Parts: sequence; C-alpha cells; structure tokens
Amino acid sequence: MNAFLSAAALLFFPGGLSLLVSGLAYEWADRKLLARMQNRLGPRWFQPLADVVKLLSKEEIVPYGANRLIFNLLPVAALAGPLTAALYVPLFGLPPMYSFQGDLIVVIYLLSLLTICTGLAGANMASRFSVLGATRTLTQVFAYEAPFLLALLGPAIAAGSWEIRSIQAFAETRWLLLTQPLGFLVALIGLMGKLELPPFDAPEAETEIVAGALTEYSGRGLALFRLGKGVEMVVGLTLIAAFFLGGVGNLPGFLLKTLVLLLVLVTLQAVLTRFRIDQVVRGWRWGALLALLQILVMIIWG
Amino acid sequence: MTNPELISFDSLLENGRSLLESQIIEAQTPEPGRLDLVIGPSDLPQAVQTLVDNHWGYLAAITGLDRPESSEVEALYHFCSGPAVLTLRVRVPYAEPALPTICGVIPSATLYEREFMEMFGVQVTGTPDPQRLFLPDDWPEGVYPLRKSFNPQEKVPQVKPKANGDNAGRYIVPIGPQHPALKEPGHFEFTVNGEIVTGASVRLGYVHRGIEKACEERTWTQAMYLLERVCGICSNSHAYAYVLGVEKLAQVEAPERAQAIRELVAGLERIHSHLLWLGVAAHEAGFDTLFMYSWRDRETVMDLLERLTGNRVNYSANLIGGVKFDVDDEQRRTILAGLDYLEERCRHYLDVVSTDAAFLQRTRGVGTMTREQAELLGVVGPTARASGVDRDIRVEAPYGSYRRFPVSIVIEHAGDLEAKFVVRVKEMLVSISTLRALLDNLPPGELVARVPRRIPAGETISRVEAPRGELFYFIKSSGGDKPERVKVRTPSICNFGSVIHTAVGHQFADMPMLLAGIDPCFSCNDRMIVVRKK
Repeated sequence: MNAFLSAAALLFFPGGLSLLVSGLAYEWADRKLLARMQNRLGPRWFQPLADVVKLLSKEEIVPYGANRLIFNLLPVAALAGPLTAALYVPLFGLPPMYSFQGDLIVVIYLLSLLTICTGLAGANMASRFSVLGATRTLTQVFAYEAPFLLALLGPAIAAGSWEIRSIQAFAETRWLLLTQPLGFLVALIGLMGKLELPPFDAPEAETEIVAGALTEYSGRGLALFRLGKGVEMVVGLTLIAAFFLGGVGNLPGFLLKTLVLLLVLVTLQAVLTRFRIDQVVRGWRWGALLALLQILVMIIWG
Repeated sequence: MTNPELISFDSLLENGRSLLESQIIEAQTPEPGRLDLVIGPSDLPQAVQTLVDNHWGYLAAITGLDRPESSEVEALYHFCSGPAVLTLRVRVPYAEPALPTICGVIPSATLYEREFMEMFGVQVTGTPDPQRLFLPDDWPEGVYPLRKSFNPQEKVPQVKPKANGDNAGRYIVPIGPQHPALKEPGHFEFTVNGEIVTGASVRLGYVHRGIEKACEERTWTQAMYLLERVCGICSNSHAYAYVLGVEKLAQVEAPERAQAIRELVAGLERIHSHLLWLGVAAHEAGFDTLFMYSWRDRETVMDLLERLTGNRVNYSANLIGGVKFDVDDEQRRTILAGLDYLEERCRHYLDVVSTDAAFLQRTRGVGTMTREQAELLGVVGPTARASGVDRDIRVEAPYGSYRRFPVSIVIEHAGDLEAKFVVRVKEMLVSISTLRALLDNLPPGELVARVPRRIPAGETISRVEAPRGELFYFIKSSGGDKPERVKVRTPSICNFGSVIHTAVGHQFADMPMLLAGIDPCFSCNDRMIVVRKK
C-alpha cells in the first residue's frame, strides 16, 4: 500500500503529472502577462497545452549529421532533471517528498541539467544556428551558475543546514529578503538566465540564430524540452519563494508568492532589451561579486 | 521660371563644364538644372576623377540606354550636386562593347556597373567583381534584357547555374532568404570567428520582377500603376517621382492643391515607414515591447492614410497631372487629431531611444560610419544624415510643394545606430509639423491638369526623397504613348554597401541591427548583389 502511495505521489501528485500541468500553467501566466504588458492579447489559457499536444503528435525529424541516440536521449534527460529536482522542493504548500542533508546541492545540479542538455543538443547538430546557440548557452551557464549557487547558499548558511526542508522551516519565521536582498536579486536574475528568458535570451535570439540550440528539434523532443522548461520555472520560483519570501508552507501562500515573483520576471522581460552574450558575461561578473559580498556580510555579522 | 535656384545651378553646371572642358565632345542642356556632356569612352575615368577631385557632387546612378537605330549603347553617369545634375554620356558601339571602370575613383560604383553590364551586354573592363548582380543564376549568357532587341514575351531558356565559390575553411552563418531575422527575401552570409564577424556578403534578387522592362510595354498611365507597386512601404514615393518626371516631359504642372495633397500623402507615408522601421529595428535588438507599441501607434497613421485614400498600402494617390482625391474639412480635422497623437508618441520614442540604458547598450557606438565613409560609399537618406551628411532632396532640390511647405533637415553626427534611431524619430516630428502647416494652408483649386496621351519626346530626371533616401528616376520618351526607358535607382541599393563595410569586426549579434539600421527595402531595389570583402 505504501509503495502504491509513493508511486502515485511520484507519478501524479505532487510529482509527475501535476508538475507538468503547473509548468504549463506558469508558462501561460508568463506569456499572458508579457503580452498584456506589450499591449497584445496574448494566448488563451490552454495554448501551452495545445502546443505540447501538437508537438507530441508531430513527426520528429532527426537531421543529417546528428547522433540519433544522443538526439533522442537529451530531451528525456532535460525533462527528468527538473522533475527529479521537484521531489526535494516544497511544492504546492506541501513539505518536500524526500529530504536528506545536502539535497540543496543536488537540486542545484539537477536544475542545471536542462541547460546542459540544451547546450549538448545544439552541439550535436551540424546546423550553424544550433552550434552558435549551443556555444552561447554553455557560455551563459558559466556566467550565471556560480552566482546562482552562491545566492542560494546565503539562506543555507543562515539556517545552518544543507537540507531544503530545514532551510524552509528556518525561513518561515523570517523574511530573508530583508536581510539578504542582494542574494535574492542575484537568485532571481540567475533564474531568468537559467530559463533563457529575455533579456538573457541571447542563446535563442530569434533574429540572429533562429531558435539557437533547439533550432533543429521538432515534435516530441521539442515538446519535452519545453515541458522541462516549464517545470524548471515552477521549481525555481518555489525555491526562491521558500528561501527568501518567508517560506511556502500553504497553498495560497505558495501561489501568491510564486506568482508575485513571476510578475517581477515578466516586468523585467518587458522593459529590457536583449543583452549580447558578451554583455551577459560581463554583467554576471557583478552578479558573482554581489553574491560573494552577501556571504561575506553574513559571515562577518552572522 | 525665374527663381534664384536657376542661377545657383547654372553656376554649378558652368563650373562642372569648365572642369571637363578638354574632354567634351558635345554639350547640351536638356532641361533647366541639367547639363549633358558627351565624352569618349577612354576619357571617362579621367573625367570622373576630375569631378571627384573637385568635390563636384556624387555619383547618383548609371543609366543605360539602348539605341538600336545607331547600333550603340549609351551609358549615362549621373552626378548630382544639390539641385544640379551633370550627366556624362558615353557611347559604346555594338561592335566593340567595352567601357573602362570608374571603381578606381568611386568604389561604390561597382554595383551600378555590374547592373549595366548584364542588362546591356557591355563589358566594363577592370571592374572588381564582374559577377551577376541582378539576373538569376540560370539566366543564359548573351541575353541582355534591357536591350530593345529583347522580347519579354519570348521564353528565355534556363541554363545550369555555375557552382558557387570555394568556402572551405570558413565558418559561414547564413541569414535569409527565409529567416526569422529578415521577413524579406535577402540572403546574407556572415563569416564568423566565434562571435566576431570577419566577412560579409549579400545577395538579392529573389523578388526581381523586371519592372523597368515592363514599363516599356505599357502606356504612360499603366506604367504609373506598375511603378507604384515597386515597393509596398514607399509606394507613393515611386509614383510621385514618376509623375513629376512625366509632367516635366509633358510641360504640365499639377495644380497647387494637387501638389500639396501629394506632399501630405508623402509625409504620412514617411511617418508610417519610419514607425514600421522603428518597430523592426527594436525587434532585431530584442526589445519587443517597443516593437509592439510602435506598431500599435503606426495603426493611427495607417488609418489616416486609409481614410484619405481608401488604401493602407498602395494609396494610389497620384495621377499624371494631379491627384485622385480631395481633402475635405472632416478629413483635415481627423488628420490633425491623428498627428497630435503621433507627435506625443514620437516624443516618447525619442526619449526611449536616446535614454533607455539597456537599449543604448545595443545601439550606442555600434556600427559607426564616419562622414568620410558615408560620402565615399555614397549612402543616402537617413543613413547618410545620421553620419552628418546633409543630403535631403526635399531641401537641396525642392520639388512639388516643398518650396511652399518646406521641411527642415535633420542631421546627427555620431554615425552609429543610436544616431540612426534619433534621425528617423526626429524626421517624423519634422514631418508632423510640416503637415500641420500644410493642412492649415491648403491651397484651393483644381485637382488635375490635362495631360496629353502622347508625351513629347525628351529625357528627364526626377529625384524624390523617399523615406529611405533619394529615389532617382530617369525617364525617356520618344514621343509615343509608352515610355522609351524608365530607370529606377532606389535608395536601398546605395546603402547596402555600407552594411557590408561596417559589419566586419562587429559581434554577430549586432548583424540584424546593422542590417535594419539602413532600413533596407528588398522589393524596392531587388537586384542581385554579391559583395565579398576580405
């Protein structure tokens, strides 16, 4: 019976299916809000789902010159990464499904998997656009990954634990946003970089390199990558809300806090111009310095 | 006509004539403001050198004329200096079809020379790149479409295209003819080293329709409708330039009210074209919010044009001898209200493009073209004015009602993308204030003057400032009901060279913006170009 319940939790709620659905819902919220800010109508509520269903039903073409095995495996790994990371994160106001000392580090690694897979997927192609996109994706990983990690370490150090569950318990009693504003800022912008949202969308700048690393993907592979991105957005927003915004202990709190964060992300997307890849890398030097400064301040006063 | 400009161009032309005194075989003045000098083919490079050394204007176009009656092809090198046009005419017999190149003096002449070569079957010896410019790859050798002996009704056999050049060892990123960056059919190849561009080439011609030849098969009126369809953005400019030329040949002047209405449509067209460009350029930079807002505001001017003319794109405002519609009081008020809104928005956009820090990162100091380069490359329009070159036909050689309702010239000196944004937005503001003055003082009177069906024989040059720069028409009549020759030189072809020139050494990410910076119009100038630069 217990095994059955665990399987149900993994496959349906709070893991698996409900994650995919919430990923699509957040993607819709992102697109709709951005559209309204840009004076457009934006998509209807089921558009992301319709996109995925359409992509899944389409023929997948493996381009000439690409390794078929890698081509097929990468999208699966890209989706598996965030789905697994979600197990250790307090989603939908529930406590994390699994927990152990040090799971924060594992989650951060799992969240990088999507980006790494995207980069590898591009490098696997012969297409110019894919290769250029892959170069940019991987360059960007090196730019934001370290600051993002440092920013999330702040709450961990404050709570004195590497376990997400205990950090969340610690953060529920105080808003770390107030004591660690720099870390919060770096983490939020790091998440935008991870998700390749504008203005950090140089790796998939459509006016230069079409769709970047994923240009040659169609059908199932593209659908999996997009689902992975949606799930990663939910997990990332949850992590930041849990750490910096006084925890996400109940469902209304979870929804409110993650959506407020999403609104901030959308506003940044709407008002900023895409950075060139050299500008992104240059900018993140400051990001890393800020995150380090934050930790330094905490060590001195903490 | 007794106006002060006549004196000024007379002295300019007299100066040009005296410079070339020793080479002139024959000189004539076909119309006020023009001087045609017939010179020998071998004297051509020397004559051009003399003009360039003395800073006598710039090369505006090379027109070819086929003269089967004397078994020769004539090449016309048009130099413009303010309102004056000096034309060097060189005659090349069929028997020995060769001309020396002038690229040694004016490098940007290569495009004009290549077009002339393939269209008229004259070898321009020494031109740097003798490849096809305009005709498709599968066009057979020895078929010259603009010679009178070419019959467009006949089917031209297709030949197997030659293989492309050797690209081994170079990493080339293609953009277009189908690419999200360019919603228009151009093909660009950027050789990159990492993110840095080390070479660039452009190839056009995907929507070449042979309109110049087609005009020769149609009556004067039909040709106007055809020429209006050269471009979907500046359709009015083409018809405007054409009707001005034909009216000059027919020695008819459109009534004052008609001329004012033409200027009104041209001004609204400029606003619509610049707003369109603003959106496209912002999109290329990855600033979609500005794109969406500027295109929303562009709807205002599109609606005004539709209300005025009945059409959003091909306004079809012009007739030979006048315009098709009047502006009533209600339309006048609607336009004025629309202009108020547009002015407020343009002021906002001027603020955005000159102060938004994130946007300036992508425009300030990017793609800089100095004044010297701009003059050497012969760029026109806002592209030239952003580099400090004061070239605007509406001001230099006012046509139509631009004397009565003048515009002021907008010049920036930085030459980078930011300057190109600022120039275009400021030009919209200038247009708005000119249109206000025009609408407040709309002259009364007729809309159309009578024009004969057969246009008297002669040649004329008509220059109009289109939104993208100087639009140059050469029109020749042999006294019939059809044009003998219509030559169109659009502004984009002058500006393409500048992109290729400034691209090298920039980030690849800047390429779409550099391209957008000149506001290229592909259907306007569609010709095939391959410029290779090491």
